Amino acid sequence: MRGLVSRGGFWVAVLAVAALALPLFVSSSFTFDICIRVLLFAFVGVAWNLMGGYAKQLSLGHAAYFGLGAYTSTILLIRFGVSPWIGMLAGGVVAMLASLPIGALCFRLRGPYFAIATIATAQVLMLLFLKFRDFAWGAEGTTMPNLGDAPLMMQFEGKAPYYYVVLALLAIGLIITYRIERSWMGYYLVAVGEDEDAAEAIGVDALRIKRNIYLISAFLTALAGTFYVQYIYFIDPNTAFSFNVSVEAALVSIVGGIGTLWGPVVGTVLLEATSALLQSWLGGGHGGVQLTVYSLILIAVILCRPAGLIGLATDIYARVVRSGPPPAKEVPLDG
Amino acid sequence: MAEALVIRNISRRFGGLRAVQDVSFAVNEGETVALIGPNGAGKTTSFNLITGYYRPDAGSVLAFGREIVGLRPHDICAHGLARTFQVARPFGKMTVLANVMTGAFLRDRNLDVARAQARAAIEFVGLTAKEHTPARDLTTIDQRRLELARALATKPRLLLLDEVMAGLNPSEIDQAVALIGKLSQRGLTIVIVEHVMRAIMAVARHIVVLDHGQKIAEGNPKDVVANPDVIRAYLGTGYVHPAGAGENAC
Repeated sequence: MRGLVSRGGFWVAVLAVAALALPLFVSSSFTFDICIRVLLFAFVGVAWNLMGGYAKQLSLGHAAYFGLGAYTSTILLIRFGVSPWIGMLAGGVVAMLASLPIGALCFRLRGPYFAIATIATAQVLMLLFLKFRDFAWGAEGTTMPNLGDAPLMMQFEGKAPYYYVVLALLAIGLIITYRIERSWMGYYLVAVGEDEDAAEAIGVDALRIKRNIYLISAFLTALAGTFYVQYIYFIDPNTAFSFNVSVEAALVSIVGGIGTLWGPVVGTVLLEATSALLQSWLGGGHGGVQLTVYSLILIAVILCRPAGLIGLATDIYARVVRSGPPPAKEVPLDG
Repeated sequence: MAEALVIRNISRRFGGLRAVQDVSFAVNEGETVALIGPNGAGKTTSFNLITGYYRPDAGSVLAFGREIVGLRPHDICAHGLARTFQVARPFGKMTVLANVMTGAFLRDRNLDVARAQARAAIEFVGLTAKEHTPARDLTTIDQRRLELARALATKPRLLLLDEVMAGLNPSEIDQAVALIGKLSQRGLTIVIVEHVMRAIMAVARHIVVLDHGQKIAEGNPKDVVANPDVIRAYLGTGYVHPAGAGENAC
């Protein structure tokens, strides 16, 4: 077992070095942009996965927290001149506060009803911000003030710094997930996801554990929101509360491997790469063709590999490289 | 002897159906009490009322001197009442060990402590060889053992077992009876819902009989099985005790 752990640690180290060194080899800003988006959505996926993956509370409304994070930091920046670094944390806190009433309402529902209720919360927030004209610029949105190279205000020349910021966010998300997964909380989350009533019978406060993980998930998602609007220099309700954000957060985890540490990362890399490649091959002229192919790939993955691609990867690894039985299941599926 | 559980006049209806009507009984500490009766008599509903899954329309439940009506199931478990379900409900994708550790976390959040306690409970029910098997791959009987181990890992003072012997063969029933005997010897108070009369006669010191949601008899096993009301409602007129080879009168 110890051998496995250090082998895992070795691959993580290789991956980290590769990720850190990547900007040395990338010069095209188009490629940079794709890398940043991959890391950003992997991070949103990691945040979603804590709740949607481990505790199986399938939220389709994480755009609510993405948007709240984005708007909080932007309002603080433009109205009060507060650095987005502070605004980012403030956005996280606002998202946590918002998750309490939203959770209190939605956690009464289970399964698909929960998912539908969460969609509604994100949509309601989007409508509110569309109407808040004098407070938050309404439907036109606003652009960020261009401050040039101002690292303290989260504005940078060139894309490499943005890349490192979002890489750090993803690392934080993964470390938090890792720590939770290997503590009592990970077991409780999986137990609640498997059977809430049975979990209650052995002393798990299901509502409380769901509320707590929702707080963490909302906080992290809001950080991504702040980063995103700082990166694209623009905010409006349709960007910040985009339903696509909610869907993407869930999709990358589901495709990659729901309730696994690396699932959202694997899922984002594959989906974004597929989407970018399809766009460049098929994007010209026949609008929609690349979306059709993309959807077909999604359907194929979900039909053939409902547990996600990460399972496929470990199976192949076990069969080809080690030619033994599949490796032991990840904690907290085992002791 | 102190009373572990005192149930006073609990009732619950579902629409027009009176599932449990005005039922009262008490369980002394260290005692094993059996709840018997035909299907639909309200046995499982009573369990759900005691453990907080349903709220009684009326009545009170005192556990170790504390009123527990209105508490949520996890609070009741923390208060020392652990239950099993009629149909076992393991956390399917977790291994046996992880399932039982999840129970042990109630009393200690440390991973190593929980693992050690879980191993002890797993050994007690005889599942050690399958420690790393995902729960969904266990046989029905092993799933019940797992559920018992998981309940024991929460260190209960009172154990509520809902038909743990259904579907077992005679030698497995003997094992289960021995297991319950061992738990009782450790000082655990046990309430058991069961149809297997042979097992009930072996483990229970006191029997409560329910029919149509009402208590129709109560007393020591010998008297209860001789009670004409009980024979009519549940055991069947063919039931003879103690020669009773009739394993299951239902």
